[in-house]
This record gives sequence, C-alpha cells and structure tokens, in this order.
Amino acid sequence: MSQVFLPHTLEELWTIKQENPAALIMAGGTDLLVKIRDRKLPPAVILALENIAELRQIERQDGEICIGSMVTHQQLLDSPIIQTQLPVLHQAVAVLGSPPIRHMGTIGGNICTASPAGDTLPPLYVLNAGLELKNAATSRLLPIQDFIQGPGQTLLGSNEILYKIRISIPAPHSQGFYFKVGQRKALAIAICSMASLLQFAEDKRILEGRFAWGSTGPTVMRFPEVENTLIGEKLSPIILGRLGQSMAALVSPISDVRASAEYRRLLASKLPLKIWQSLI
Amino acid sequence: MTTYASPIGSSLKRVDGPGKISGLEKYAADYYPDNFLWAGAKRSDHPHALIKEIDISPVRNLPGIFAVLTHEDIKGANRVGVPEMDQPVLADRKVRYKGDPVVLVLAENKTVLQEAIDKIVIKYEPLPAVFDPEAALAENAPLLHENRNDKNLLLGGRVVRGNSIAAMSECDAVAEADFQLPWQEHAYLETEAGVARVDEEGILAIIASTQTPWRDRNELAYALGWPLDKIRVIAPYLGGGFGGKDGITVQGLLGLAALHSGGRPVKMWNSREESFLSSTKRHPGRVHYELGCKKDGTLYAMNCRIVLDTGAYASLGGPVLALAMEHAAGVYRIPHALIEGFSVYTNNPVGGAFRGFGAPQVLAGLEQMMDILADKIAWDPLAFRLKNAVMRGDETGAGVWMSNSTAIIPCLEKLQEHPLWTSRQAWVSQAPPFKLRGVGIAAGLQGTGYGPMVADIANAKIELLPDGRFRIYSGVADMGQGNNPTNVQIAAEVLGQTADCFELIQPDTLQTLPSGSSAASRTTYSYGNALKAAALQLKERILTRACNMGMGLYAEDFLLSSGRLNHLPSGREIPLGLVAASMRPEERVSIYSYTAPVNRYPDKINPDIRAAGFPHRVFAFACHLARVQIDELTGEVEISDYLAATDAGKVLNPQLYEQQVQGGAVQGMGYALWEDFKLDRGELMTRNLATYILPTSMDVPDILSIAVESVEESGPFGMKGIGEIVINLALPAIANGIARAVGQHIFKSPLTAEQLLLILEKRAAE
Repeated sequence: MSQVFLPHTLEELWTIKQENPAALIMAGGTDLLVKIRDRKLPPAVILALENIAELRQIERQDGEICIGSMVTHQQLLDSPIIQTQLPVLHQAVAVLGSPPIRHMGTIGGNICTASPAGDTLPPLYVLNAGLELKNAATSRLLPIQDFIQGPGQTLLGSNEILYKIRISIPAPHSQGFYFKVGQRKALAIAICSMASLLQFAEDKRILEGRFAWGSTGPTVMRFPEVENTLIGEKLSPIILGRLGQSMAALVSPISDVRASAEYRRLLASKLPLKIWQSLI
Repeated sequence: MTTYASPIGSSLKRVDGPGKISGLEKYAADYYPDNFLWAGAKRSDHPHALIKEIDISPVRNLPGIFAVLTHEDIKGANRVGVPEMDQPVLADRKVRYKGDPVVLVLAENKTVLQEAIDKIVIKYEPLPAVFDPEAALAENAPLLHENRNDKNLLLGGRVVRGNSIAAMSECDAVAEADFQLPWQEHAYLETEAGVARVDEEGILAIIASTQTPWRDRNELAYALGWPLDKIRVIAPYLGGGFGGKDGITVQGLLGLAALHSGGRPVKMWNSREESFLSSTKRHPGRVHYELGCKKDGTLYAMNCRIVLDTGAYASLGGPVLALAMEHAAGVYRIPHALIEGFSVYTNNPVGGAFRGFGAPQVLAGLEQMMDILADKIAWDPLAFRLKNAVMRGDETGAGVWMSNSTAIIPCLEKLQEHPLWTSRQAWVSQAPPFKLRGVGIAAGLQGTGYGPMVADIANAKIELLPDGRFRIYSGVADMGQGNNPTNVQIAAEVLGQTADCFELIQPDTLQTLPSGSSAASRTTYSYGNALKAAALQLKERILTRACNMGMGLYAEDFLLSSGRLNHLPSGREIPLGLVAASMRPEERVSIYSYTAPVNRYPDKINPDIRAAGFPHRVFAFACHLARVQIDELTGEVEISDYLAATDAGKVLNPQLYEQQVQGGAVQGMGYALWEDFKLDRGELMTRNLATYILPTSMDVPDILSIAVESVEESGPFGMKGIGEIVINLALPAIANGIARAVGQHIFKSPLTAEQLLLILEKRAAE
C-alpha cells in the first residue's frame, strides 16, 4: 500500500481525489482491506473518510432521520434515536459481524459494498431509504433500490461519495423486524435475511406490509405485489406462511460454500413465520 | 504471594499467565532475529501430478531474492514422518496433494517473496487422482506411493473376539448404521511458525511452534542430512497445537532454508490460508456399526468397520487407526466383536494427530448406536449404558483390559441424578412454538500415553540454583494446556516451596532432556511422574547435605519450605542458598527417567495394529449430556445446557482441569455442528476462518463440569490425562439430543442447520 490520505473536510477530499483519480475510497475498511489482503484489489492509494466529522452524525430533522455515511454500526447500535425510531435497523446492526467489526464498519460502507448479504440493506429497503450522493459540485438523491444494481455494483460516480442516508420515520403503529440466518450467531455472513416493516390499523389489521430479503438474489429483493396481499389482514401463522411460500417462488438464490440455493429458498419461505415466533 | 494449604489440588495461578498477558512471553511466531530472511514455499496446485520441469529463471535475478531451492538442494533423504517416513520436505518426482511444497524461496521481505512464488513456473503432467478412501482401495486405483506392497492401504487390521457373526443372530435386537465423519481443522491461534539459523560452529538451531522437539530433531537430521548433534530444536510455549503440531510442520523447510542462507536467520510464519492448505487435519472417515443385545439389555455382539482417509502422506494415520479400533467398543462389555480398520492414502490433505486421536470418530458412531439400540428394546439410554459399562477388571468389547482406575459408572451415576437429566421430560415438553427439544447423552474413554508403539518415556530434570531457588527443565512442550505451570505445582508440592521459588525452562534439546511429545493425554502423567521422582530425589539430597554440613543428625528432623530448611529439634533456620553453596553443580541437578506402563496381550489383535499403539493401560472416562433446541424454521441448533462428568483421576489444578473440559467440549461442539471442512476433488473450498465455521462464545452455553475423582495409582498424585477425553463426546451427545428432538438419527456430521432443515422439511412432506 503506497499512500493513505485522511482528509478532514470534504473540500480536502475533492482535491485529493482530483489529484489521485485512482485512489480507492475507504469507509471503515472491513471489506476493502480484506479484498486487498486477498489480492482481489491492487494495493492502491487509499482515501479514508474517517476524519470527516460531518459524515459521522446521526440527526433527526422533522419527520426524517439523517445518518452520515461514516456512522459506524456501533454508533447506530448505541443511538437512542435509531433504537426508538428505526428498530428494524437497530435489530440488524445488533447481529452484524462482531464488536470489532461494528466499531470499524460503517453504514455507508455497507451500502456501497452492495453485497446482497449486507445486514443493513434489508432494513434500509423496507424503510425506503434515500441516499444523498455528493461530488465536488452537486448532490443528488437516489432511492436505495435504484442505487444498488447488483453484487458490488452501484450507481456511485467515480468522483462521488455517499454523503447521507435519509429515512422517513415510520408511521405510528409500525413494527419492524429483522431476522438473519448465518452459519453461527456472531461473525456470520447472512445465508438468508429478512427485514419487515408492518404498519397496523387500530383494529390490528395490516395497513401496509413491507418485506425485504437478503442473500437470496443479486441484490436485496422486495416484491410489492406480494406485500400488497397482506393489506387488511391480521397477523397469523397462516398468512405469514402463505406469504413465505409466495416469496420463496420469487427469490433467486445461488449455491456457494456457505449454503445451497435449496436451503436459502427454504429459509426465505420460513422467515416470515419468525415474526409470529417473536411475538408469542 | 499466593498462600495455599497445598499446591496439589488448588487452582494455583498459572506461572505463565503474566508473561503471556503482557506480551513479554515469546511464541515462536514472535521471533524476528536481526537481518533475517523470509522463507516461503511454492505449493502444488495439482492433487496428483508428475513434476516435469521447475523453471526458476523468471525470479533468479529478482531484486530481494536470496535463494530459490528445490529438492535437488537437499542432501539428506528428503523424507519426514513418523512412524512411516514418506513425506518430502520438497516434492521431488511428483506431488500428491494440492498444497505439497515444491520450491522454497528465501527473500528479503514478504512482498518480493510472494512475487517470486507467483512467478516461478512448474510444469506438471497430471496423474489420475483418488479422493475417496474406498475407491483408493480398489484394484486399479491410482497409487500414491508406488512401491508399497499394500498399495494405498497405509494400515489395515482386525480385532476378533468370540464369533460376532454367529452371535449377532442370537441377539434379540440389532441395530445397524453407517456414519460419515468430516475433516476437522485444528485452527490453533498461532499458525505454524519458527525461525532458524546455522551458527559459526555449524549448529542448526530452530525455534519452532512444535509439540515434538526431540522427534523433530531426529527427523530433520535424516531428511536434511545434517548431523544430529548439530541440530538444536527449541519449543517455546505454543499458541495452540491440538495435535496439529505433533511432528514437522515448517521445521523441514526452515532447516533447509537456514542451510542455504549464508548464516543469516530465516523465518517462516504461515498465513491462515497456508495453514489450512498445508496442515494436517482430523481424519475423516466412515464408520459402520452393527450392534446387538439381548432383551435383558445385555450387549452381546458388535461388528465395526472403520475406514479413515489419511490423505497423501502417512503422518500418524496408522496409530490413529489403531486407537480408533481400540476405542471402537467404547466403555462396554461385549463378548463377541469384530473390528476391522483401514487407514488409506488418497490425494486429499494429510490426516494426522488431533485431540482424541481416532476416538472421536468411533465414539460418534458407537454412542449413537447405543441410543438406537436402547430405543429398540425400549430401555432408558442411560440405564442401558449403566447395564453394560465396564468396571475395573473387565475387558471392553475391543479386548482392552480395564486394569487401572475405571470410574465410568460413577460418571454415569452423576448424570443420572443431575437435574438436567431428571427434569428432561418437563424441559422437552415446554419447548416454545416452532422449536423442538431433545436431551442426549454419550459416554466414552480415552487412553493415556503411547501404548506399545514406542516406549512412553519422560526424563525430568530439576536444579537447585546457587541462590536457593529451583529451576525446572520441562521436557514436554506446553501448547497452552498448562502442563509446564503444572510442573511448578508438582515440584512445589514435593519440595515444600511456593511457586515463586521456581523458574521454568521450556523444551530445548540443548538444555532439557528428551521426554516425548506433548500428546496422547500423557504430558503431565508421564513428565509429572518423572518430575515428582526427580524432585523427591533432590529433596533427599538437600536434607542429607544439611546433615553432612553438621546442621543436624537426621534428615527427617528437617522441614523443607520456601527458600529454607528448618531444623525442628533446634529451631534453627538454614537458607537453601547456604545448602546449595555446599553442593557441587552436578549434585544440585536431579534427573529421573520414567517409563509409562503398557498392557501386553498379543493374541487377539494382529501385530501391525499392536505396533501402532494398541492397547493402552490407563484410561480417562467421561459422560456428557447436551440439551438441544432446534429451530423448526431455520434448522439452527442451540445447545441450551451442557454437562460433562469426567474421571481423569485426581485433579491437580481445578482451574486448569475445567479449562480443558470447556475447551474440549467447545471444540467437540464445533465438530458436531459447524466445522464443515469442504473439499472439491482435493481443492479446499473452506480456505480460512471466514468459511470454516468455528463456534464463537455466542454459540456455546455455559458448560458444567463435574470431576469424578478416581485415584489412578500409576499417575502422579493419582491423576491421569484430561487433554483428550474432553472432546470425544460432544458430537454423539448432541446428535442423540437432536435425534430425540427430530425423531430420526442423522448419520452425516457435522449436523449443520442446512442438513437439519432439509430433513425436517422432508419429514413434514411425508
């Protein structure tokens, strides 16, 4: 590794990037450094974002929560705002990696790595998170499901960084769930994961149900047509089981060293029932 | 200073603790000598191929490359291994597995080392390869080692008792099953490492992470053609071993490098990936059982066939098979038994020593058979085991005499009365929605020492220093289990000293005496016996010398305590330094040679198996209980509670004892549920700790340990080995619990969540 830059401001960052166009942007480094060690990436100039203070804030503005891209998973876990307002995200970071990884890894890095197994992604999909991208001149806002194109593929421009994640606070009477199946309880990559955000009416009927699946396709997946079948229903093992069956037919998992496609598909069909298991 | 009534039996603080915690204690990987070179190997990417050409020209002039070595640079036999020396330091004519080292590079730094390894070109002519041990036994199978009479069969043999074929038909109930056991990676914290140098006098000194400094020295002399008396091997504390450093790992390459480094020190330290690629594993295998009993619950006949995959080289694949056969009937009296065993070469990674040494594989099968058979005659599984368990004076189904302490029945009784067992039905019936619960048990044993393979000898050495303190020359490497701190405890007990009166020398072929390997649950048993006698001899010498000096009339009038002698009749106190000053250096050193006992009875087993270490004389026993809860939605298994009742004789240090129980149980849990070592035609699929899944602290429960302390008359202070018995029973106990929860036994381990969910789904569909 030849050089590591640690700018303190965005202005410095843009300058360095301009002078070192091939520099790799590093957030927490928990993916990037592993790839370099495995020689999947060349030992390049590294441009680390960790000293840029404005990227490390969690803010609540009106009905919206803004999370800086360099906020670590541990910060999310420790944040009362996240815990009370975005419990689905909070549950996900609680089972992400291990304490050292949670202290290094960041939400922005998790998004830009764009692994279908990324633990923060299913929650961000059901929260309809918007991503604010910035370059030296302008910024733009993209929904997360548009930003992520495939495994490791995003619409991040070469001179752009992910600046902030913007999330509307879910409606009252909403409940969030995150379930992950890994090969063990900690330090595990999701074999299959599911985030859900359910909004209930006074009579406990479902007003809106959102579901996102991780590790079951090239990206995190949502199926609005299946979600819509829940509207007006009350939670029961039968309707959750049925939902799982429908989802399992739509996901497109692969087999790898961690799990077979068959197991992943089976898990996709069962995970909605975890909601029931957790409520009783 | 810690005060205690008596060192033996107390949780004396480990004397190695402060040095390890502060980082001052140096492991082999911590050595960075001045001006050292890195050494590294280019390894085969073929499972079986002839080496046609090694082209080093692309790197010969690469800046930073010091030397590039091949088998042609080796002056000796270029073979290591024990008992069979069949493994090249650098492959010569052909490679036999993906990972065989072919070229050794010495470089100024790791970057250029890697560049050179990448650029060297080796041309191969691929040969047909064989990856399944049954297929390797077939008539036309490709041969790993061409000149062997037994072809790919490294070791085969049988144990015959009575007539099990006829007896099986006289049984009222018979169960039969075929078990598939996986590889297991040792995954020690410190990967294989060491430094080496040839000094001005031609002494090749190697500091390595090794369980076997003396054996290494012999093997290196033979393989490298360097005089034995010019080789020195030093074994600092190891960062884990578990059997994976029972023999040569990097030592051969390091020695070779040092002989070609122009006197500069050389260093090797495997990455985790290279460790996975090149290290030995627990032998995978197939174990077939047929077990029969009478309707009164008496076991009557057993047939067992064991096939172990020893991979490309012998390593300890013969002795592991012999031990598997010896333990194949577990802790039970079975009058009629046939045990057949085969240890077979394949083009897979090398199978070698691993904690348990063949016993985990067979006990995994047998202890599930015991549950299956108990169910067939509607017996309680624990009562069924109690009915058939051996007592002292009995013979096991494998024909092994229980000639020494034998407390398996008390272990089973401890379990029987424990709330985790007595309340099991209530616990199972209270399973939450979408969860299945089951409680499983397993019993077993583990031999202590080498058996009649090689004499199990330990040579202890202890010195009274001029200042009145003592120095213990530990002969057996300490891979983390704490045997060398325990040496302090033993000597402190005999000599009436506190722990701070001692210093410890780690194994070093120049300073300490040959005492065998850190293996076979024999470290404290064998070396402890030797040290206890050496310390006693030194004590007598000190007391006698005090009389010599005119300080008293009778040796028994003296009390030896920390740093001093008290003459009781006169009340005089004499500093030990004063006694030491009156002694010649050779008098201040006491050595004692101890040979562990073995049982000899030749008629029932064939000589090859006996020569591989069958049978043992001293055994440790245990019974484990696992309460498991399976998630019906994911197949994930949670071990809710775990209990281990262990008879390893008297407990010398309760904390170290419990540490062994916990570590062994967790390593066994990994073997049972998660550690799924995957290979595809000899190619590693699980290359590192990201894909080879070890349990974390989040995955394992608190482990309850009950010590059932028999008194082993042959062991120091009544102890016997604890190191291996602790790993043997997690797999069968957990598997039995899962079988009770799911309603069927699963014969392929590890019992992964994926396997379980697919089975649950299939059962639901039926």
